[in-house]
Amino acid sequence: MVIKKPGHRSSLDDANFDALRDLLKPHIESFDHMIDAGLKTMFIGIKPLEVPHPTQPTTLKISMDNPKIFEPQKERGFSKSRNILYPFECRQAKISYTGTFTAELCFQYDNGPIVREKFNFGQFPIMLQSKLCNLRGASPKKLVSYKEEASEVGGYFILNGLERVMRLLIMPKRNYPMSTVRSSFSERREGYTDKAVVIRCVRADQTSVSIKLYYLRNGSARLGFWILGREYMLPVGIVLKALIDTTDREIYVNLTSCYNEKYEKGKGAVGTQLVGERAKIILDEVRDLSLFTRLQCLQYIGEHFQPILQGLKNESHHIVADAVLRDYILVHLDNNFDKFNLLIFMLQKLFSLIDQTSVPDNPDSLQNQEVLLPGHLITLYLKEKLEEWLQKGKRLLLDEIEKKGATFEFGRIADVKKVLEKNHTKGISTAIENMLKTGRLVTTTGLDLHQRAGYTVQAERINFLRFISHFRAVHRGSSFAGLRTTTVRKLLPESWGFLCPVHTPDGEPCGLLNHMTRTCRVTSFYDSEGNIKDYFKIKLSILNILVEIGMTQSLPKIFLPGPPEVLTVLLDGCIVGFIPSTEVEKVVAHIRELKVSSAAVIPNDMEVGYVPLSMGGAYPGLYLFTSPSRFVRPVRNLSIPSTNENVELIGPFEQVFMEIRCPDGGDGGRKSPFPATHEEIHPTGMLSVVGNLTPWSDHNQSPRNMYQCQMAKQTMGFSSQTIQHRADQKLYHLQTPQTPIVRTRAYSEYSIDEYPSGTNAIVAVLAYTGYDMEDAMILNKSSVERGMFHGQIYQTETIDLTEKGGKSDQSARVFRKSKLDKPCPSIDSDGLPHVGQMIWPDEPYCSTYNEVTNKTYLFKKKGSEPVYVDYVAVDTKTKKNLNKVNIRFRHPRNPVIGDKFSSRHGQKGVCSQLWPDIDMPFSGTTGMRPDLIINPHAFPSRMTIAMLLESVAAKGGSLHGKFKDATPFRSSVKKDDEESGSKSASLVDELGVMLKEKGFNYHGCEVLYSGVYGTELTCEIFIGPVYYQRLRHMVSDKYQVRSTGTIDQVTRQPIKGRKRGGGIRFGEMERDSLLAHGAAYLLHDRLHTCSDYHIADVCSICGSMLTTTFQQPRKRPVREIGGLPPARAPRKVTCHACQSSKGMEKVAMPYIFRYLAAELAAMNIKMTLKLTDGVDI
Amino acid sequence: MDPQPEPVSYLCGDCGVENTIKSGDVIRCRDCGYRILYKKRTRRIVQYEAR
Repeated sequence: MVIKKPGHRSSLDDANFDALRDLLKPHIESFDHMIDAGLKTMFIGIKPLEVPHPTQPTTLKISMDNPKIFEPQKERGFSKSRNILYPFECRQAKISYTGTFTAELCFQYDNGPIVREKFNFGQFPIMLQSKLCNLRGASPKKLVSYKEEASEVGGYFILNGLERVMRLLIMPKRNYPMSTVRSSFSERREGYTDKAVVIRCVRADQTSVSIKLYYLRNGSARLGFWILGREYMLPVGIVLKALIDTTDREIYVNLTSCYNEKYEKGKGAVGTQLVGERAKIILDEVRDLSLFTRLQCLQYIGEHFQPILQGLKNESHHIVADAVLRDYILVHLDNNFDKFNLLIFMLQKLFSLIDQTSVPDNPDSLQNQEVLLPGHLITLYLKEKLEEWLQKGKRLLLDEIEKKGATFEFGRIADVKKVLEKNHTKGISTAIENMLKTGRLVTTTGLDLHQRAGYTVQAERINFLRFISHFRAVHRGSSFAGLRTTTVRKLLPESWGFLCPVHTPDGEPCGLLNHMTRTCRVTSFYDSEGNIKDYFKIKLSILNILVEIGMTQSLPKIFLPGPPEVLTVLLDGCIVGFIPSTEVEKVVAHIRELKVSSAAVIPNDMEVGYVPLSMGGAYPGLYLFTSPSRFVRPVRNLSIPSTNENVELIGPFEQVFMEIRCPDGGDGGRKSPFPATHEEIHPTGMLSVVGNLTPWSDHNQSPRNMYQCQMAKQTMGFSSQTIQHRADQKLYHLQTPQTPIVRTRAYSEYSIDEYPSGTNAIVAVLAYTGYDMEDAMILNKSSVERGMFHGQIYQTETIDLTEKGGKSDQSARVFRKSKLDKPCPSIDSDGLPHVGQMIWPDEPYCSTYNEVTNKTYLFKKKGSEPVYVDYVAVDTKTKKNLNKVNIRFRHPRNPVIGDKFSSRHGQKGVCSQLWPDIDMPFSGTTGMRPDLIINPHAFPSRMTIAMLLESVAAKGGSLHGKFKDATPFRSSVKKDDEESGSKSASLVDELGVMLKEKGFNYHGCEVLYSGVYGTELTCEIFIGPVYYQRLRHMVSDKYQVRSTGTIDQVTRQPIKGRKRGGGIRFGEMERDSLLAHGAAYLLHDRLHTCSDYHIADVCSICGSMLTTTFQQPRKRPVREIGGLPPARAPRKVTCHACQSSKGMEKVAMPYIFRYLAAELAAMNIKMTLKLTDGVDI
Repeated sequence: MDPQPEPVSYLCGDCGVENTIKSGDVIRCRDCGYRILYKKRTRRIVQYEAR
């Protein structure tokens, strides 16, 4: 780690944003791979479509090839020279950042020549800073010229001008058989137990199929897999026999090979005597179905699956069965022999789970998880969409043949192409765009994913930390959000170093939405040089190395013995051989050495999951993983001399069984029999980027650090350097940000100084005036007036006249000022507001004129505060008229009472007073007044010691003119920086000396004088600069007040909702409390006078209030004829039921009571009121 | 008879050239053909709250 001297940057091109860019690599690399190779691999995986002519004996075979996506370009070339589309224009014009997607369709009649035709599949969304993005490779200077941030990191998509990020999602680890216990398994069918071995198999094109091996109570097992939304269970014996030509004896020996009497109940023994019995049951089952040979088993499978599988209606049973085995069973393996071996292994693991010689794997632990990456999800979604498109194309072709008969020439490719082009080719890219826009998958097969929605989120730029956190966030899956149990949310030790324990929201998504640590990476298809890995070559070289150092390769007719004698070796879910358990440790060490050395062919991110022999622990074996989308992180390998490169990438699977030392002072409680083989690079590697920014977070109580992670992301900061080029709906901006005096190393490493988000405020900890009670804080009025915490909100209104509204004639609208109505000063002659002018609430700012209906429509400003017009950008969709406008308003948001602020230690508070400077306490020696006063009660129970340290350190730092390094865990790390290696190791001593040198109190206290009385305060006050953040929650957005106003039409009670001027509900519990207090007048005022006060006419004869009607006097009163002024017309109310107007009384009541009477009357219930004057009750 | 709407000035979002556009004109920069134009700041007196 290099500490850059802050403020030492000479020019923009010196800026180094590599550390920042590394954070987004998982997103960008996966998209890059999709472009480079993923699409090609996926196209190979699409089965060719065969269209047989219904009458003629020709068959057309259509396959796909040569996918190509182009860089984003403008639709029409306005000028000849520049057609490149840049992201800035997409944001400004509210369009999508897309490139053309084309592919070739290969047509082949019977066995004739292949003819290729190019098809345009529409505009495909492009990820920013991916290989196809026009910003890729641009230097910071160049990026600025493209109107982007100098540090633009990309990794997101722009769709209709909105930035959307694909969420990283936790998936079960691919190609690893997991022992699972789930009560729902036993409900599958009669005889099933709750135990199974589950494996999620992933093909080369990232599509996956999960299969489950259930254990039955009778000792047998069933293989379950899903086809088109239904689960099918096959007796495992049939599958075993169908896979390869084998004998019952072979299967029996293979299954029982893991059992040896010699080792029974010894360490690492997984097999028991029962395994043999179960093997017999499995074989008996197959025999009972009178299936003896491989062919018979295939026939059996084919017969059952023929009606289910599409497109194999006319094939032989044999071929159908092959298709089932190929497409649904252990799809990550191509070879039936490998599948057979893995199935045997899974059975052994299942039996060991039953016999309790091994424990079930925890599906909630990171050990058995990986991550779903954007490029992979898009690939597999695109595959399904293309397959659907082909199927629909086939139907269209057959329809066309039927409809047109002989006139349609099936043999002419031009005609076929015409039909296929009618099949909404551009819809393919639109489907992808919609998926990214809404985050919803529209799928029939389910794609082996557990959720339909929530795959993308909007990349909010409230501040930079919020933005960057979107890319580091890992979600557990929305299906877990509804779970009542908390097991999935627990912080497990397995996730150490990969997921940040501090950076997770509290409340609803707690523990489900985690963030990757600073050092955590995700493996990709690219090696460190940026070349695509050749997995075939890697596999071969790994096999060679393994065989060299003592592995026996698995070959047909060789039975795999089991633990504890030997350990099975699995490479990416394929059994490659076995190693004597005495040799394993040596082998593992050797592989690790090769992994680290750059010369070897073994990829440096390979996971060497060595599960050692144990007494009823995890199922032993040597599991090697080279696959992409696994978590990895760097640690130092101690067995390799430190002169060489010794940083090894390890995964969560292997980490559990490794001895990694962490410099925590106590060596992690390690005992000598297990010496550490690895070492953490730095303890801060276990924290996320945001978690790393809290100064001395090791001195804080842990929940306070969690609160700070939350609040850092809600801070109003310097959100963007290109603010004048952006058209976000809402943008928070802090006018006068400062760089913190006290900062961690991560602050400079990730160039957070580009986006500062707070102010070094002089904070006095003292109870002054009483206005700082209960987390309130007093701001110095003069400091605020000098610009402290000043900020504004930018809000953009986009008016697009071409957009189809609800009404019919919307097309003929233009921006124009009305010529007839009274002049409107706020609107310019072009129908748009003047730039820079202030607009009051309800004042019109824009006017459109409908040329057909001759009507003018005025857009009025909503809200409750005056705003300024910041900019007006005009754009056009059609060539002719101006019809698209972005108007950006600036809401001035300087601090007022009720705004929220927080330090970096989870100490939030609300401004309670803007206290005049002259009344603020002042220092006896320097005369300084604090900017901010907080109450001392904020500290004892919260124990945020780091905030006190920050205050002292910042005071010392500012006195000495130095930034102070506040990286946590400094005392645990080896004393390599001699600066801190002074006589006393204590941090407080070091900071105190800094103050003492400049003549200040060692502990940071100062003598203060009361600003009001001028007398010395009775005790010394702790005062110093603390970096304070202004949070985005502001009263101006939240205050809600009304006495009377808009009411609900039915109940005549106040409506709800701040936006509409509604009220806050004064509910039953509030009513109860007023009742208890006997505050009857207030209660009457709230619930009656200010609500649905109503005077009803009630007939005291019949007691009804519904039968009374008010009659308008028909004739003019005589008095008017006589020239006298009209008297107030007497209200004449009569009761319809009684046919009289006698006994009419006026009664005040809530209107809802009358409504109740009406509702009851509708149910044939009469309500009668007995009126008395309250005397003789 | 209405007076003709006076022309309004816009700045090109790409090259910064000032364009004067009357209603009904094509929305495009004269120089570079860029589509997004920004309205110029008003010349009217704008008074801010001096508090």
